[in-house]
Amino acid sequence: MKRLRTLAHWGLLAWIGGIALLGLAQSPLEFGELYSKITVRGVEFSPKLQALNGKSVRMTGWMAPPLKPKLDFFVLTKAPLATCPFCSTAADWPPDIVLVIMPPGRTAEPTTKRIQVTGRLEVGVKEDASTGFVSLVRIYAERVEEAR
Amino acid sequence: MPRNIAAVCALAALLGSAWAAKVAVYPYDGAALLAGQRFDLRIEASELKGNLKAYRITLDGQPLAGLEQTAQGAGQAEWTLRGAFLRPGSHTLEVSLTDDAGESRKSVRWEARQNLRLPRAAKNVILFIGDGMGWNTLNAARIIAKGFNPENGMPNGNLEIESGYGGMATVTTGSFDSFIADSANSASSIMTGQKVQVNALNVYPSNLKDTLAYPRIETLAEMLKRVRGASIGVVTTTFGTDATPASLNAHTRRRGDYQAIADMYFGRGGFGVPLDVMLFGGSRDFIPQSTPGSRRKDSTDWIAESQKLGYTFVSTRSELLAAKPTDKLFGLFNIDNFPSYLDRAVWKRPEMLGSFTDMPYLWEMTQKAVEALSRNDKGFFLMVEGGMVDKYEHPLDWPRALWDVLELDRAVAWAKGYAASHPDTLVIVTADHAHSISVFGGYDYSKQGREGVGVYEAAKFPTYGDKKDANGFPLPDTTRGIAVGFGATPDYCETYRGREVYKDPTISDGKGGYVANPEVCKEPGAFQRTGNLPVDSAQGVHTADPMPLFAFGVGSQFFNGLIDQTEIFFRMAQALGFNPHLEKP
Repeated sequence: MKRLRTLAHWGLLAWIGGIALLGLAQSPLEFGELYSKITVRGVEFSPKLQALNGKSVRMTGWMAPPLKPKLDFFVLTKAPLATCPFCSTAADWPPDIVLVIMPPGRTAEPTTKRIQVTGRLEVGVKEDASTGFVSLVRIYAERVEEAR
Repeated sequence: MPRNIAAVCALAALLGSAWAAKVAVYPYDGAALLAGQRFDLRIEASELKGNLKAYRITLDGQPLAGLEQTAQGAGQAEWTLRGAFLRPGSHTLEVSLTDDAGESRKSVRWEARQNLRLPRAAKNVILFIGDGMGWNTLNAARIIAKGFNPENGMPNGNLEIESGYGGMATVTTGSFDSFIADSANSASSIMTGQKVQVNALNVYPSNLKDTLAYPRIETLAEMLKRVRGASIGVVTTTFGTDATPASLNAHTRRRGDYQAIADMYFGRGGFGVPLDVMLFGGSRDFIPQSTPGSRRKDSTDWIAESQKLGYTFVSTRSELLAAKPTDKLFGLFNIDNFPSYLDRAVWKRPEMLGSFTDMPYLWEMTQKAVEALSRNDKGFFLMVEGGMVDKYEHPLDWPRALWDVLELDRAVAWAKGYAASHPDTLVIVTADHAHSISVFGGYDYSKQGREGVGVYEAAKFPTYGDKKDANGFPLPDTTRGIAVGFGATPDYCETYRGREVYKDPTISDGKGGYVANPEVCKEPGAFQRTGNLPVDSAQGVHTADPMPLFAFGVGSQFFNGLIDQTEIFFRMAQALGFNPHLEKP
């Protein structure tokens, strides 16, 4: 009986895995859907974003000017972006950005083309220990490709 | 024989200078200060050979007491005296150091100015800074706001900034370390009378690693509060900890020390004088790190703390207008910069406004700030910045920049009215640096791209103002506009048109350079222009061009001619009849 349940469990996982491989389990997520509102008291995550936390998502956007040459992570933005080095010593990032973390050992190519990122969504304030970069929304990427 | 002696002397002098230690002194040689203005005196010796055997530091021939000696590394020595000040007159500081190579000397001269007691002196100052508002920016804004009479070619009038003034000057700018100014050092020069390094706020250079420990220079606002008990305030459309507002009372080598600057606004760090009125954007530097959107690295919540300190806190236009402020008022109206006037008042695109649909205009913030500050009968100093002018000139978005000048102009109109009914008030309108903006033709909006540009008589006259917004400002949408360009640009695509949803002119090429934004290049009539800036420049840059200055009310006659930006500080002190060394707190 226990063995049967385990088999059923594995079967279910295989089924979910199959859908994931077909790309059906990746929820599309738009930049406009990240926050329900931004006020002077901070940013509120949208119900959709919170519901997708930990799940596989697909987002399309632009790669922000890279913070370092080897891109084990980069910032995905809604619109093509340039920073203004003389306006401010810290980059004036727009609030609606998503940090994309490449799989261990893999790097992304810097590009000026529109890109599509697929991976696991993580929501919440997190500071990167090495760069001090604070992110609100992250995607642990499985695939980064040119958007069609 | 005399020739040989001369040669030996020359050789000795050469060797002597080659072996001598390097000595830097701050305030720098030739500095002018206000008598009684506080500063951190700092002497830095480097390239010492062996041990420092002896030193002698004298001010006007007398040994200087109270110096703290430190060393940042081998062959270095520093002396600091915090909170120093000078009596009126000329002063000479002499440093003599002896190391294994012998004696090294350095001598600097300072001038401490004092002011005449005036029969009618200013008690209040309202200083307007159009960030990036050079003469050409102001000129372009006037053409849009007033236009010309097509019957005779006469201009239809001047901006409020340009009308009814008692003093007018052209101001040259620069930094301690560059002849091109940035907002931080230029505003610091206006507030302290000193030349300051690029990206630094109210500090002298130093070899220190801690950007917040740099030798500080007291600002006019800090002095007025310390000596006279005046109230001080700042209003801007940018994020609150940005360079120009920070020039009131922040002291740091790095303008990006946003968290420390926010803390200094409440009297933590710096010389410790808090601001009484703050109305601006950029709440991200005032909310705790745990809140999504915060830029802080600690748990300080200045929204909650400010209310414990007695500030009235407001976060929307409705709250601001309804507020009956006591003498302390704190308003945060956006998590970051304000969207431009056109975004807030005309286009109202959700992409640009987000949840911030109830934001005050600059003239409303100015009025409310004065209401709060003027409760203090000892006077006030208010800085009002039209901060987004510069932020939209950088990415060549001239419509957003110029309509923000018009918003500033309305605030100046209100302040002129206040000065007329309060004859102890001086109003100054100036800028911190210019941009390479130029109006060189008319634009026919029935055409696309270069075909729409008309030069000389083909330019005809612009028709802005045929349609007006709810505030009575001309709408950007008209049949004949102006053709505007910038002298210093990256590679970008030109369309001669504004766009309701902002776009950067360039995007990163991923290799440290920038290329024209392909989204702009797809717009109708767009054509690519090869830039003249290095390829690692994403945007337009500040220029060395002079700036306008207009002064209204009591003391305005002190502002005239061609003056350096540091002179604005001394003329304001002159108009105030201000002598911090004589006036007892």
